[in-house]
Amino acid sequence: MPILCDHYYIFGTLATQDVYLTWMDGFCSSTRLLRSDHRLSMGLRSGEFPGQGSKISMSAEETRAVFERHRPTHVIHLAAMVGGLFRNMRQNLDFWRNNVFINDNVLQAAHDFDVVKVVSCLSTCIFPDKTTYPIDESMIHNGPPHETNFGYAYAKRMIDVQNRALFQQYGRRYTAVIPTNVFGPHDNYNIEDGHVLPGLIHKTYLAKKEGTPLQVWGSGRALRQFIYSLDLARLFLWVLREYDEVEPIILSVGEEDELSIKFAADAVVEALGFEGDVIYDTSKADGQFKKTASNAKLRKYLPDFKFTPFRAAIKETCDWFVANYDSARK
Amino acid sequence: MNTGSGLKVIAILDYYSSPCFKCILTPEVFIKPHLSVSLSLSLSLCQMDGSVGPMRVLVTGGSGLVGRAIERVVKEGGGREGEKWIFLSSKEANLVSAEETRAAFKKHRPTHVIHLAAMVGGLYRNMRQNLDFWRNNVHINDNVLNMSHEFGVVKVVSCLSTCVFPDKTTYPIDETMMHNGAPHDSNYGYAYAKRMIDVHNRALFQQYGLKYTAVIPTNMFGAHDNFNIEDGHVMPGLIHKTYLAKKEGKPLHVWGSGRALRQFIYSLDLARLFLWVLREYDEVEPIILSVGEEDELTVKDAVDAVVEGFGFKGEVIYDTSKSDGQIKKTANNAKLRKYLPDFKFTPFKQAVKETCDWFAANYDTARK
Repeated sequence: MPILCDHYYIFGTLATQDVYLTWMDGFCSSTRLLRSDHRLSMGLRSGEFPGQGSKISMSAEETRAVFERHRPTHVIHLAAMVGGLFRNMRQNLDFWRNNVFINDNVLQAAHDFDVVKVVSCLSTCIFPDKTTYPIDESMIHNGPPHETNFGYAYAKRMIDVQNRALFQQYGRRYTAVIPTNVFGPHDNYNIEDGHVLPGLIHKTYLAKKEGTPLQVWGSGRALRQFIYSLDLARLFLWVLREYDEVEPIILSVGEEDELSIKFAADAVVEALGFEGDVIYDTSKADGQFKKTASNAKLRKYLPDFKFTPFRAAIKETCDWFVANYDSARK
Repeated sequence: MNTGSGLKVIAILDYYSSPCFKCILTPEVFIKPHLSVSLSLSLSLCQMDGSVGPMRVLVTGGSGLVGRAIERVVKEGGGREGEKWIFLSSKEANLVSAEETRAAFKKHRPTHVIHLAAMVGGLYRNMRQNLDFWRNNVHINDNVLNMSHEFGVVKVVSCLSTCVFPDKTTYPIDETMMHNGAPHDSNYGYAYAKRMIDVHNRALFQQYGLKYTAVIPTNMFGAHDNFNIEDGHVMPGLIHKTYLAKKEGKPLHVWGSGRALRQFIYSLDLARLFLWVLREYDEVEPIILSVGEEDELTVKDAVDAVVEGFGFKGEVIYDTSKSDGQIKKTANNAKLRKYLPDFKFTPFKQAVKETCDWFAANYDTARK
């Protein structure tokens, strides 16, 4: 089973290439290098070799030392300083600076070490606050991001700026993906700090265990596009191998598969067999009501790609959480 | 100073003396396993009335157009009793390097910073090297802002530009519009790096309450500019070309139709305003420093002023095969006028004459 966390891993060996990954564990900068000698299959078989704990992010020297040691030909760059709404609001400077350093270190080392391709990871939360919907790949820089996480948002946007500049000055085709709401095993299930689905899963698990009602924040009417981490991982590999553009690509189910929070809550309730009351606390904010992203570009390339049905994906995730409750990040 | 735990603190005072002062601990704090604690203090002065006392001002990019203008204004009465002004050039410290920046801050211990240093260049170099313009400027800016924060600098005034504004926009542009869309494609590396100064300032304010800010000048000109014809800006380019045309008895070739409109600001006026921003302007949001919309001039007006400034009597030819650039990029100076309704800009013709005279007198050493 592939290892996934609040950002997700994809790893494997592609013929003679080493896929080098950067992963951040919360706020500490430790790098795990995952290399597998197994050929990739659709099931994404994994083998994790003992990693080296080494500081990468904020230090250019340490980043370069890692590249020197492992000489990757390709990089999937997932490492970032991330956090929930409230931490972002308090620490915009740290989110800006640390992420700019991480990104510059990885992209510059990749360039210096002649890495053929880097696929970085953006997010729909970095798009302009005032915008029309659906959002698409051309709109990232069309206005300021939301005030609460502008540090993180600008740092991520600058990955795209640096990719374009690397292409313009050196012909490098480094690119980035833009997932919508990701969920799956190995997520960060912290209720205060985490995202909506892992938060729901954790809360439902506890409600069932303690025989209390499930309290859902908000009205349940907000709409989201969810993408299962395993589907995202498969798409990441396609981007690494086949997607040739420098402009980023949105990886998401289509607009037609947008779901309400209530729908998601029902799926979680069903998956965990929760039979108690579900209460929607409308005093809590819904967040943005809709942030529909267009996946037209993805569909142009992969018209037949099949996403895992939502309920099945939720069931798998809930089963994993129950089986791994003690060690899950929360 | 005695701490509650019985440790005796020996403060090493700098040459400041004041009835009260705020101590800011620098990274060199170390605690010996004895009863005394040695501190290296970076003192930020606060007078009884809450204002900041004598300042040590570090000017990065001190040898450039604006740096030299500030130096002159400070010397000619703009400076105050007890102030120390340090003009840093790239010869002393390469600000792309965090270590060299830190060394410069450690050496000079500023209380204030005017941050003018940047990697700059003309249109064609920007177009070819967007990555270098992006990375070098981000590193310079982060090093200066971060060291300022670390060394307890009270205020930093950085320098943006109207050229970093969105390419697709309405006019006049004002301070609120800077991030409202992508910059022009030819210099997006430089433009984003400058914009991120504002992001960094806002984040420093949000997380630490620091009121670092920035100014946005329009087209500057004056002595000590870069007069390179290929790589420079419109005014210094015109001045250099007219000087040569006069010297060689040839026509003056002006690129474009002459109809493009610009707001010009004399470097000495800009320097006076920089000092006002440093001392009095209290916002984090940047401020446009420019003459008003009503003083927008055509490139032809500028040509005529330069021709008159040099007493050039030859032919002036407008090469309309060359691009005008943007026909208009009017900036709104309403915020400046709200604060300083009576500020008088040096009359344009006079400012141009002074600059031409300087160029003729300093031709050999001028940057070109």
